[in-house]
Amino acid sequence: MQLDFMVVFSYWQVLAKGLALTLAFTVSCAVLGSVCGFLLSLLRLSKSPLIRIPTGLYVELFRGTPLLIQLFWIFFCLPVVFGISVPPYVSVVLALTLYMTAITSETFRGALKSIPSEQHDACTALGVASWNKVFYVIFPQALLRAVPPLLSNVVSLFKESALISSVGIADLMFVGQNISNSTARPVEFLSAVAVIYFLVAFPLTRLVGVIETRMLRRYAY
Amino acid sequence: MTAPLLVAAQPQASFVPDSAGGDFIQLRDVYKSYGEGLVVMDHLNLDMRADDRLVIIGPSGSGKSSLLRVMMGLESIQGGTISFQGKSYIDGNARNHGKPLDVRLQTQVGMVFQHYTLFPHLSVLSNLILAPMKVHGLSKVQATEKARLFLARLGLESKLNAYPSQLSGGQKQRVAIARALMLEPKLMLFDEVTSALDPEMVTEVQNVMMQLAEEKMAMIIVTHDMHFARNIASRVVFCANGKVVEQGPPAQIFTQPKEPRTREFLEKVLHLD
Repeated sequence: MQLDFMVVFSYWQVLAKGLALTLAFTVSCAVLGSVCGFLLSLLRLSKSPLIRIPTGLYVELFRGTPLLIQLFWIFFCLPVVFGISVPPYVSVVLALTLYMTAITSETFRGALKSIPSEQHDACTALGVASWNKVFYVIFPQALLRAVPPLLSNVVSLFKESALISSVGIADLMFVGQNISNSTARPVEFLSAVAVIYFLVAFPLTRLVGVIETRMLRRYAY
Repeated sequence: MTAPLLVAAQPQASFVPDSAGGDFIQLRDVYKSYGEGLVVMDHLNLDMRADDRLVIIGPSGSGKSSLLRVMMGLESIQGGTISFQGKSYIDGNARNHGKPLDVRLQTQVGMVFQHYTLFPHLSVLSNLILAPMKVHGLSKVQATEKARLFLARLGLESKLNAYPSQLSGGQKQRVAIARALMLEPKLMLFDEVTSALDPEMVTEVQNVMMQLAEEKMAMIIVTHDMHFARNIASRVVFCANGKVVEQGPPAQIFTQPKEPRTREFLEKVLHLD
C-alpha cells in the first residue's frame, strides 16, 4: 500500500470549512457555558436547599454521564418527549453548552472556595463589606485562579466536539471521515485531522502553563 | 516643622502608664468558647485607656488572638459586653450574636495580621485606596494623595505601583499597616505581625509600630517577641486559660511578676529566646 499525504492538501478547503465549524461551536459553547457555569456556581453556594440540590443534581448528572449520551438524548429523545422539533444545530449547541456549564461551574466553585479566609478577614477589618467585597476582592481573585482550569475545559470541549459529527454536523471530524471514506485513504486523512486538532489544542494547553507560572504567581498569591 | 505623623488626629489624654483602669475600652465578663472543650475567653475583664499600648502575652490557646479577632468583629462572643469610646460596641447577649453593634465604631478599629493579607490582584496603591474610596467615600484623587503621603512616610513611595508578590515580607507588612492607617483608626490591633517575617525584616516593621506608639496610637499587640513587648508596651497583660492572670507595666511584669503562672511562663519563653 502506498501512502500519499500530498492528497490531503487538495482537500484543504473542505477541511478548513470543517475546522471553522468546529471552532464556531467550540467558541460559542465555551462562552455560553462559562457565563452559565459562573452563574450556576453562585447558585450552588446558596443557603437554600431548594436552589442548591437541583443545581447540584444537574452538575453531577452531566459530569457523570458520557457527552455522547447527552448529545444523543437531546438530539433524539428531547423532540420525542416534549413533542417539539429542534433544529440539529440548536440541539448540538444546547448539548455542548449544558456540558460546558456543568464542568465550568465546578471550576468556578473551586476557585471561589480557594480564596483564603484571611482575604475575607482583611475585608472585614477594612470595612469593605458585601457587594464591594465580592466585586473588588473575591471575584477578581477567583476569576484569575479559574483561568487555567477554564482554558483546560475549553481544550476538552474542542476535542469532545468531534462527537457532534455523529449526529451529522459537518465539523472537522465529519468532513475528515467522509473524505477518508470516499477516497479510501483513511491513514492520510484521519492522521491529517488528528494533526489539525493537535495544532489548535497544543498552543492552548501550553498557554495554561504560561498563565500558571507567570500571571498567577504575580497576581494571585 | 515637626516630624511627619503617621497618625492623623488623636484625642488628647493625660498619660498615666500605671493605671489599669480606663474607659476607652472596657471588657466585662466576656465569654467565648469553641464548642464545649475550648474556652478562650472565660468571663474576661479588661480595661484600656486611649493612650494605652497593651501587649498581650500568654501560652498558645490562651485566647490572645481571639481577643483581637473579637474586637475587630471577625468572631463573636457568647456572653458579656464590650464598650469602645464609651459606647456599647459588642454585646454577647444581643440578637446579632456578639458581633459589633455599630459599623461606624467597627471602622475605627484597624487590624494587621500575621500573614499580611494584602489583596494580591491589586497594586500597592489600589490596596491602600480601596477601603477609603468604598467605605469613607473619598474620591480617587483624594485617596491617592493620602496613600502617597502614608507610603512616603513609611519609605515605600517607590513601591506605589508594585504588586504584593514583588515586595519583601517586611515591605508587605508595612503596606498592610499603611492600609489600615488610611482609615484613620482610633485603635490598632496587631496579631503576631512579625511572626512570619525573616529575622532581618522584623526591625523595619517594629520601627513603624514604635513610631505609632510615639504618636500615642492606642494599640493592642499580640506578640511572642518579649524584647519588643517590653519596649513598646505601656502595660503588659498576661493571659492564661481565657482569663487575665496578671497585668502591669512591662518593667514590673518582666522583672518581678507576682503570679507564679506568669513567672513560669516567662522563664520558659525567655529561656527559649
